Amino acid sequence: MRRFLLLLLVLSCAGAFAQPSITYGGERKFDGVHQNEIYGNLIYGGNTVTGRFFGEAASYTRHFTERWSITAGEQAQFLKNVYSFDVMGTYRIPFKRTSLYLDTRIADNIYHQWHVNEVLINASAYWETNYVDLRFGVSFIHFHKNDVKEQYQSYTDASYTELPTLTVGFGVNIRPRNNPWNLGLYIRNFDQYYYENWNINWGLRFHATLPWNDIKIYSEFNIRPAGSMSQLATRYETSLRVGLKYAW
Amino acid sequence: MNRRILLTSLMMSAILLASCEKLSEKINPAGILMAGTAVEDRVAMSYKYFLSHYDEKVWLVAEGDYTFLVGADSHVTTDPRRMDEMLAIGLKDDDLFYAHLGDIADTKAEYYITLDSLLQAAKYRYVLQNYVLWDEYHYVEKGTEEEEFPTLYTYEEIVYPFFPVVGNHDIMRNGWALWSNIFHSSFYEIDVIVIQDDGNFAFDHLIFLDSASGTLGTTQIRLIEEGVLNGKYDDGTSIYRNTFVFSHTNIFKPQFNEFASTFPREETFYLLDKFEEWNVTCVFCGHVHTWDERNFNGVHYLTLDSMCEANNPNPGDYLVRINVKQDGDVSWSPVHLSTAGPTKK
Repeated sequence: MRRFLLLLLVLSCAGAFAQPSITYGGERKFDGVHQNEIYGNLIYGGNTVTGRFFGEAASYTRHFTERWSITAGEQAQFLKNVYSFDVMGTYRIPFKRTSLYLDTRIADNIYHQWHVNEVLINASAYWETNYVDLRFGVSFIHFHKNDVKEQYQSYTDASYTELPTLTVGFGVNIRPRNNPWNLGLYIRNFDQYYYENWNINWGLRFHATLPWNDIKIYSEFNIRPAGSMSQLATRYETSLRVGLKYAW
Repeated sequence: MNRRILLTSLMMSAILLASCEKLSEKINPAGILMAGTAVEDRVAMSYKYFLSHYDEKVWLVAEGDYTFLVGADSHVTTDPRRMDEMLAIGLKDDDLFYAHLGDIADTKAEYYITLDSLLQAAKYRYVLQNYVLWDEYHYVEKGTEEEEFPTLYTYEEIVYPFFPVVGNHDIMRNGWALWSNIFHSSFYEIDVIVIQDDGNFAFDHLIFLDSASGTLGTTQIRLIEEGVLNGKYDDGTSIYRNTFVFSHTNIFKPQFNEFASTFPREETFYLLDKFEEWNVTCVFCGHVHTWDERNFNGVHYLTLDSMCEANNPNPGDYLVRINVKQDGDVSWSPVHLSTAGPTKK
């Protein structure tokens, strides 16, 4: 327990390592051998507000037991100037051939060019079956301005705590989850660092095991429209993400 | 078994994806895959209209204090009584203008015909109250008829001061064609010239954004960044005393179970920052059908409840009136709509 807390503290303080692992379409559970996993990916895309952007994200997962794990991550999107740090604790409940993961995540997102700092807590359940995965949860999001106007010195005059936001995600792969390669589709109202209310992301995901050292390559082509339901989806952001996962 | 799960999952995802675009609207998978760009077309058309009609640009003139009336989400169908009541209240209380925050009618041609007839009738009453006939074709403002050379207006030249923004329901089923046929532009600005008692002038600024798609889109953001709405002197000081922004989509979330999408994260923060840069006094939003009032870093935000009879059948305070004093002070008060909607069964 002490080692667990120490690791959490070190990773939080270092801020070194958003969360590629939460969008990864492959198997998340501890393989019984490799206690450490690292994910790293590059991203390139276009956004309506900021135009072209590129960036990176990385996360480190430590499996303490077959059930408990902790993940810490970071991401930086340059030109968009959004930087994030997060820590996530996970408890896995095996159920027949499937796994139910209970994730609790704390993230800090710095929207530098708009002088906004956002802190969020997300609690969600992620159900991983052979072909299909589902995520359902809730986010608590608070943000505040860093450049509070002089006449509004009070923190509360420049901060806002949103009412809880539901988190939903659904993915499906064309091969069984433990296949050496896989291709899938997903829809979800979140991504590696943000949680939207009803704006639905969707896209294609892919992963494959490389022949060297059990390294996996993964990729996502993500479409992020603005608006949903009665507000017809409109082009907002498109991105391509390519990364590697290594376990040891 | 696995194959069955896979097929079921694919069907579920297809249904969910289709429902994201509103099932009755665009089932076309290409439309879902690529997402629409309608906001770009609307803003491009609106800005072109603005440039080609610059000579007809509306300037509102207020002498001393003035007020204006704001309503939202009227969703006019076959029964336009609430809308009619809003316009009657505005005329009776002599508001300088009336603003509407979008979703003015549910998109059917017959509803827009109803709305257009209503606005034409309201304009006629407005002209009767504020103008007198000068000759067979021209009107003059009341109080100027004794002048030797008063400004003459044809009936068509008289601007009925009803200014809407476009809402997401206004653009469904090719609704933009109906909406733009009446209102022409979804992205525009109006200046209010305030003549103060001491003879000095002040300027207030009204900005109407096209946020019907939950994003301003690339074109609108580019125009904003080019400074078309900035209103600043060369030395960077603002021309305007008060700036009021009107947007359909809301910024803040007034309720947990709101079944309406808002701006994406980056655009939310971009807008909050832009409103501060513009030194906005108050931002008016609709869309979510719930009342909300808050201050955020010096900008006041009012999100209005729906004035539609079907959404809120009981009479209530669904409108707000903004009181602008000639010294620039701004306050607001609720305005009651007494028309009752259909009884819910």
